[in-house]
Amino acid sequence: MTATTAGPPATAAIATDRLTKRFGTVTAVSELSLEVQPGEIVGFLGPNGAGKTTTIRLLLGFLRPTSGRCTVLGAAPARDPAVRGRIGYLPGDFRMDPRMTGAELFAWFGQLRGGPNRARVDELVGRLGLDPSRPFHTLSKGNRQKVGLVQAFQHDPEVLLLDEPTSGLDPLVQREFLRLVREAAQGGAAVLFSSHVPPEVERVAARVAIIRAGRLVTTSSVEELLDRARHRLEFRFTDPPPAELFAHVPGVVEATVEGRSAMVAVDGPVVPALRAAIDGPGLLRVGSAGDDLEDLFVTLYDRQEVG
Amino acid sequence: MLPVLTQAVRRRRTSLLWWSLGLAGVVGLLAVAYPTVRDNHELDRTFAGLPPGVQGLLGLGGQTTLTSPAGYLNSQFFANLLPVMLLVFAVGVTAWAISGDEAADTLELLLANPVSRARVAAERAGAVLLLLATLTAVSAAALIATAPAVGLDQGLPAGRLLAASVACALLALVYAAVAFAVGAATGSRPVAVATASALAVAGFVVQGLAQQVPALRPVQAASPWHWLLASDPLQAGLAWRSWVLPLAVTAVLVVLGTIRFQHRDLR
Repeated sequence: MTATTAGPPATAAIATDRLTKRFGTVTAVSELSLEVQPGEIVGFLGPNGAGKTTTIRLLLGFLRPTSGRCTVLGAAPARDPAVRGRIGYLPGDFRMDPRMTGAELFAWFGQLRGGPNRARVDELVGRLGLDPSRPFHTLSKGNRQKVGLVQAFQHDPEVLLLDEPTSGLDPLVQREFLRLVREAAQGGAAVLFSSHVPPEVERVAARVAIIRAGRLVTTSSVEELLDRARHRLEFRFTDPPPAELFAHVPGVVEATVEGRSAMVAVDGPVVPALRAAIDGPGLLRVGSAGDDLEDLFVTLYDRQEVG
Repeated sequence: MLPVLTQAVRRRRTSLLWWSLGLAGVVGLLAVAYPTVRDNHELDRTFAGLPPGVQGLLGLGGQTTLTSPAGYLNSQFFANLLPVMLLVFAVGVTAWAISGDEAADTLELLLANPVSRARVAAERAGAVLLLLATLTAVSAAALIATAPAVGLDQGLPAGRLLAASVACALLALVYAAVAFAVGAATGSRPVAVATASALAVAGFVVQGLAQQVPALRPVQAASPWHWLLASDPLQAGLAWRSWVLPLAVTAVLVVLGTIRFQHRDLR
């Protein structure tokens, strides 16, 4: 459920309230209010430099808010280090002591988090296909990211803060990772999943929060966004249609006519465009290129304020 | 047990091994060279002609001649080589403890665990202390083991050799604490190393010049080099000034750095 319609804020696993962070004259995060409930996966989307990483670092207590508040599991991580034991964190650029092996890191972090969980580590290592006995500096980018993922999931945290988690992963590992995220949410974990690539978020998140220049542009369910997303339709006719067939049709933002075919991009409902096509010279085929969230995000990123 | 400290020591163990070997080698060379120096009384006359300030910097003067065991060890080792080596080692390790780790983007990963910044600071400071103590112990042990073979132990029981080594380690500790405090407060490794090095050099220069420039005397009193060199721990044992002052200054610096570290943004 979305935070705006769900129960009292006290139940939110992650909550920020008018959270603001300025570095000198630069405002990295501005008046950000966001909630993630237990069991919910929220995609945190925005272009590079939008403030996603700053928000996550505020949630972990690495940075102190300029104003506003943020809590994780009811506590402020900056003042209450114990709560960080219930958070799994994957930084955007995962790095560790280069001479340490994955296994050493997992054992060390297990110790710090109240006892190692060998069985879970072995399971994660197996599922992601990681060799934990190799020093970090000998690993490829993708394998380094796997080390980061294992340490984030190894203690079955109640909150997952994942900063661009799929970077460097091949598609198979990516799928396994998304499965891990879903399982964690089914087990009750609250997941904040930042990304600048909309499709990967679309696959797991029920809700997305879009941030642009430090401000929350919109939060809504993925379904609702898809309803608003730009839709691409392809029509084929028995005879070449007139070039102006889709001109002045409500919702049509783009139309190209080429021979007997027409490609049309529609924002919002497709009914008017379909009616226009039916009125064309013998409609043969209708094809859909599917919903294109990417286009919508580009529009949202560009625009000052939406919805 | 103390996982942050343990990991910090492990991360530096190779470096510690090489430093230990190097320092033990230096001690061995000193011992091998001593018989030649001992029999060369020309050297005593040359060094006796030096200004008292320079002699003081070398741990000579008074009854202590260069060819005596105490004069030789002071002028060749305890007044310069050992403190400088321990200082370079300690400042290097300390600069990594907070600010170097932070610059490498690995400190945040540790602090995402349920450990407070104060605990990380305390355990890392403890790791530096442990590493410095080990290196000092290796150096003292090498000296105590080789000294009797060449007569360097005449008038210098093992306790005195140890006391002089500890006094040098305490000097290194003060400047390491400077690097720790600056690094913890600013998160900048270069600034931490530069501040500690500049103060160490300044302290040494002041100690040398103060003999000729009376105006520098009050400043000299605040120099860890003065606490070390003026008390001659090799012949007089550890005076209170040689250990109370360094430990007190170190404690204050570590606490101040940690307090600032707890409340600032990570970089």
